[in-house]
Amino acid sequence: MRPVITGIIKISSADIEYAMTRVKDMVRQMRFVNSLVQLTVVSIGIMLDEAKINIPVGNNDISLFLGVDDSVEDIKDEYFNGILKEGILGASPLLFPYTTPNSLAAQVTIAFDIRGESITVPIKNTHRNVMEYAVECIDGKHTSMAIAGGIRLQDKNLTIKDGRYMAEFFLLEEAGNAEKRGSKIYNYSWE
Amino acid sequence: MKNLKEGVVVSGVGIVTPLKPFMKVDDFWNALCSGEDAIKRMSLPMLDTGRKWLMAGIDQSSFADDISLENKLQFIAEKALCMAMKDANLRECQNAGLSIGTVLGNVLVKEKRLIESKKQKTIYDYERESLSYVTSYLAAKYNLNGPSITISTACASGTDAIGIAARKIMAGKADLMIAGGIDVLSDFAIIGFHILQAITEEKVRPFDKNRTGLAPGEGAAFVVLESEKHASHRGAKVYGKVMGYASRADANHLTGPHREGRGLADAMNQAISEHNLKPREINYINAHGTGTVYNDLMETKAIKKVFGKAAYDIPISSTKSMLGHSFGAAGAIEAICCLLSIKNKIVHPTINFNERDAECDLDYVPNIARHHIVNIAMSLSAGFGGQNSAIIFGKT
Repeated sequence: MRPVITGIIKISSADIEYAMTRVKDMVRQMRFVNSLVQLTVVSIGIMLDEAKINIPVGNNDISLFLGVDDSVEDIKDEYFNGILKEGILGASPLLFPYTTPNSLAAQVTIAFDIRGESITVPIKNTHRNVMEYAVECIDGKHTSMAIAGGIRLQDKNLTIKDGRYMAEFFLLEEAGNAEKRGSKIYNYSWE
Repeated sequence: MKNLKEGVVVSGVGIVTPLKPFMKVDDFWNALCSGEDAIKRMSLPMLDTGRKWLMAGIDQSSFADDISLENKLQFIAEKALCMAMKDANLRECQNAGLSIGTVLGNVLVKEKRLIESKKQKTIYDYERESLSYVTSYLAAKYNLNGPSITISTACASGTDAIGIAARKIMAGKADLMIAGGIDVLSDFAIIGFHILQAITEEKVRPFDKNRTGLAPGEGAAFVVLESEKHASHRGAKVYGKVMGYASRADANHLTGPHREGRGLADAMNQAISEHNLKPREINYINAHGTGTVYNDLMETKAIKKVFGKAAYDIPISSTKSMLGHSFGAAGAIEAICCLLSIKNKIVHPTINFNERDAECDLDYVPNIARHHIVNIAMSLSAGFGGQNSAIIFGKT
């Protein structure tokens, strides 16, 4: 199997307002609990739209391999500081589910009804692991299409509006599948 | 599996749980088959709230070494890893990798820092709070220079870590992988599940009509995976063969499972098809079986969807009825239970099962272990975010 890239997106949290204008109503109407979720969902939404993937997907043809660095640690700190401040009553049931890194992938699968594999890899500085795994999964026929990439903390001294977080994602698919769909293919080889 | 010319086998297991911690795997297995309950009332690890919750924790007195609380995860992870390596008779690991599943990782290090109001993190704190810290530490210490991966897929992490490691071997990225799951009891998680009303106030009763929730647990478990060729070349003993693995998303809800078990059924079907198995060939299931109302019902529905009437003939047990829910470690512990069931021809019980639920009407091996020749066993895991995973092991 030959994996090719048919979608690319890179968005900074500084550009999230502009990015919101590029997504369809379905995503615009979603209520996001935090900016990391919003950035992840919006980025992938734009990429899938540009790659001409029908949304909602509604099947298990697409898998999601998401790398997250320490950006989720901000949410953990906020949740636990609530407990330290007010005891058990200070624990937020809204924040707790977001303290596990796979909550970002979960929101993407829910938003676009993606029912394939969903694997989250906590990883620093690079999303190489998820890209490599996506290629292996297409190569091994475990999936025909994969979203691979992630969210990273650009600069902890920046605010969200100044570009604290960066989202980078690729859509990979089996070459035959891409050709059949008439997809725009960004490359033909994978090293 | 699909692109596999030869299989991946398990040649070693290592496990540290609240049941017979730091003892031999056989001691753990015998305790489990005797229906020993490791769940008891305990205080939170760090914060003093004046109340106790039902949980399964490794007794501090069982730690031979004087270790600080925040180093507990690293300690039990290393013990389980060393057990697995010793069991597999690994003297050296050429081109070996490490794959670890965890939900909250070294969260006790973070808790300690925040309790001490240490706002400015040192680089050392920063490194140790990272979810991938234990993976990096163990890979470096034991010279595991192949692929090094940390997986965080909520309560399916341990299962996914093993499945992904098997695929790494199939893809030719490593000759041998050590894979498993780790997590420890933390104030962070216990309070979180408490506010979501998931923790039981009574006994953990998976699949029972009167089940009221889960009990948090902790542990570390690893398996040594290698290609059949590699295992045969070095004369390794073999527990079983990986005969299928799949992960599927519910795409439904952040904390609750899909009510009809759509994602879990899909994961089971995919895992079964990877090795061209037929559902009727599976003759043991180690369920996710948390003891929550929705999980156990969803899981039963998913099993029925995949196996049809044959579902009633398959023994299904819940390890969590005795060990509680050890989150990232659970999938790896339960995978080892499947392998030990194959080896010992016995399936462990689901304890505290007193009253049958009209909708959960399968064979959950209630209260007493059973002699059963297990040829092919399947372990199921599900988790927050609609994670669902199934892994299958068979006799070689």
